[in-house]
Amino acid sequence: MATVTLEHVSYIYGKGTPFEIKALDDVSLTVKSGRVTGIIGHTGSGKSTMVQLLNGLEKPEGGRVLLDGADIWENPKNMQAIRFRVGLVMQYPEYQLFEETIEADIAFGPRNMGLDEEEISKRVREAAAFVGLEPELLQKSPFDLSGGQKRRAAIAGVMAMRPEVLVLDEPAAGLDPRGRDIILRGIREYGERTGSTVIIVSHSMEDMAAYCDDIVVMYQAKVFLAGTRDEVFSHAGELASVGLDVPQITHLALLLKKRGVPLPDAIYTVEAARDCLRTLLQ
Amino acid sequence: MKLILSILYIVCTFLCKNVLSFALLLLSAVLLLLISRIPPRIVLRSLRALLFVMLFTAVLNLLFTKGETELFAFWRIHVYVEGVYSAVFMLVRIMVLILSTSLFLTYTTTPIALTDAIESLLSPLRVVHLPVHEFAMMMTIALRFIPTLMEETDKIMNAQKARGVDFSSGGLIKRAKALIPILIPLFISAFRRADELAMAMECRCYRGGKGRTKMRVSHLHASDFVALLMMVLFGAAVLYLNRLGLFYTL
Repeated sequence: MATVTLEHVSYIYGKGTPFEIKALDDVSLTVKSGRVTGIIGHTGSGKSTMVQLLNGLEKPEGGRVLLDGADIWENPKNMQAIRFRVGLVMQYPEYQLFEETIEADIAFGPRNMGLDEEEISKRVREAAAFVGLEPELLQKSPFDLSGGQKRRAAIAGVMAMRPEVLVLDEPAAGLDPRGRDIILRGIREYGERTGSTVIIVSHSMEDMAAYCDDIVVMYQAKVFLAGTRDEVFSHAGELASVGLDVPQITHLALLLKKRGVPLPDAIYTVEAARDCLRTLLQ
Repeated sequence: MKLILSILYIVCTFLCKNVLSFALLLLSAVLLLLISRIPPRIVLRSLRALLFVMLFTAVLNLLFTKGETELFAFWRIHVYVEGVYSAVFMLVRIMVLILSTSLFLTYTTTPIALTDAIESLLSPLRVVHLPVHEFAMMMTIALRFIPTLMEETDKIMNAQKARGVDFSSGGLIKRAKALIPILIPLFISAFRRADELAMAMECRCYRGGKGRTKMRVSHLHASDFVALLMMVLFGAAVLYLNRLGLFYTL
């Protein structure tokens, strides 16, 4: 539905002070519409900054941020409309819940959009279903929920605005494996069902490999590698040179292949490896 | 020690009563600034923050001080020479006040040293069972968490902006309402932080001031006494100049 493009974008923190830090350095990038794109990189590689540029929370120092070919800063008064189109879930979004019930909190975004009550309640239910929140939880206070449930409620709060581009900064950080899977699967489902573009920021290669179509690798404020999942993971050596690695299971598959096991090239999840090995054994 | 000296200095600024003593005051402030080697830009910025208050007091003094020699009258406003003097004096006084406190306390003293100082100054009150150490600890913690809370506010604000909150338009009531989604999460996280901090402190066996020793014990050095001596001289000079009663006296 919507394409996000960065053109020679740079961003500097604390410009003009001795603590000047270049967070983004001449970054050009196109995120393909309707796909799930993972942005991966170490702490301080510029991932989170990039994400805040996408919906106009921060203004780039140089370059342009384009949404469907139009500069989002062209008319700053329209920024609110941009923010409804580009939904952003920040890191640890559970700390922004504030309403009395989960339902009211998820409805907060759509209500700000000025939708009617019927549409709002439809969207709330739909968003809650995406992230796997049971309907009976909707009437509870956000503070009676577990950490993982709160996280899911916060993500649903952004999904309920039905953004054309859904951006999530570390949506799975600090969760147990099961909670992580529920969230990432829900996000993927949201993208597939609504045709929206999804951008996930993470530092976990395993998650990226399992849930993303395209991958962008950030390193020292620059784009280091970008392409489809297969393209990026075929550069295992270069990834290792910046301290990132292909998923462990991919690593294992490569080792097995070297020993003469006829496995396909692209194995990124344990399930895929299991299935391949099973067919081989039979 | 530094704390006592700054308080003395502030007292002196209020003792100043005529042109000469004010000139001395201004001179001393400038000298201190030079010695401290703080970039003038930062000092000016701290002054600018209180510019409005300064101007307001000056104008009030200008308009409402009654004297004998009228400078000029406009409509029902009478401006007297005395008013001009007191306005200028007030301005200088506030300026020096801000300069000296920011100079002595904020720019050259760490918050920890400051609370240590408060603790030791208040320690005589321990006799009347005042929890002096706890006060000082509370102050340290409060100071420590100001930047953290500011950062937190920023984050929450961004998150709510992303959900379409508009902080910059609408009437007063609408704007106040827009703050609710920020304040509630902020309070909650502040309580959570307080809880976690208390837990962490207990895990490290913190149990209040009794029998607690200091990591950095401050001693009085020769330079402290030199500073005290200079302060006394300065105070005496101010008092002496006041008695001269040259030019105009308040």
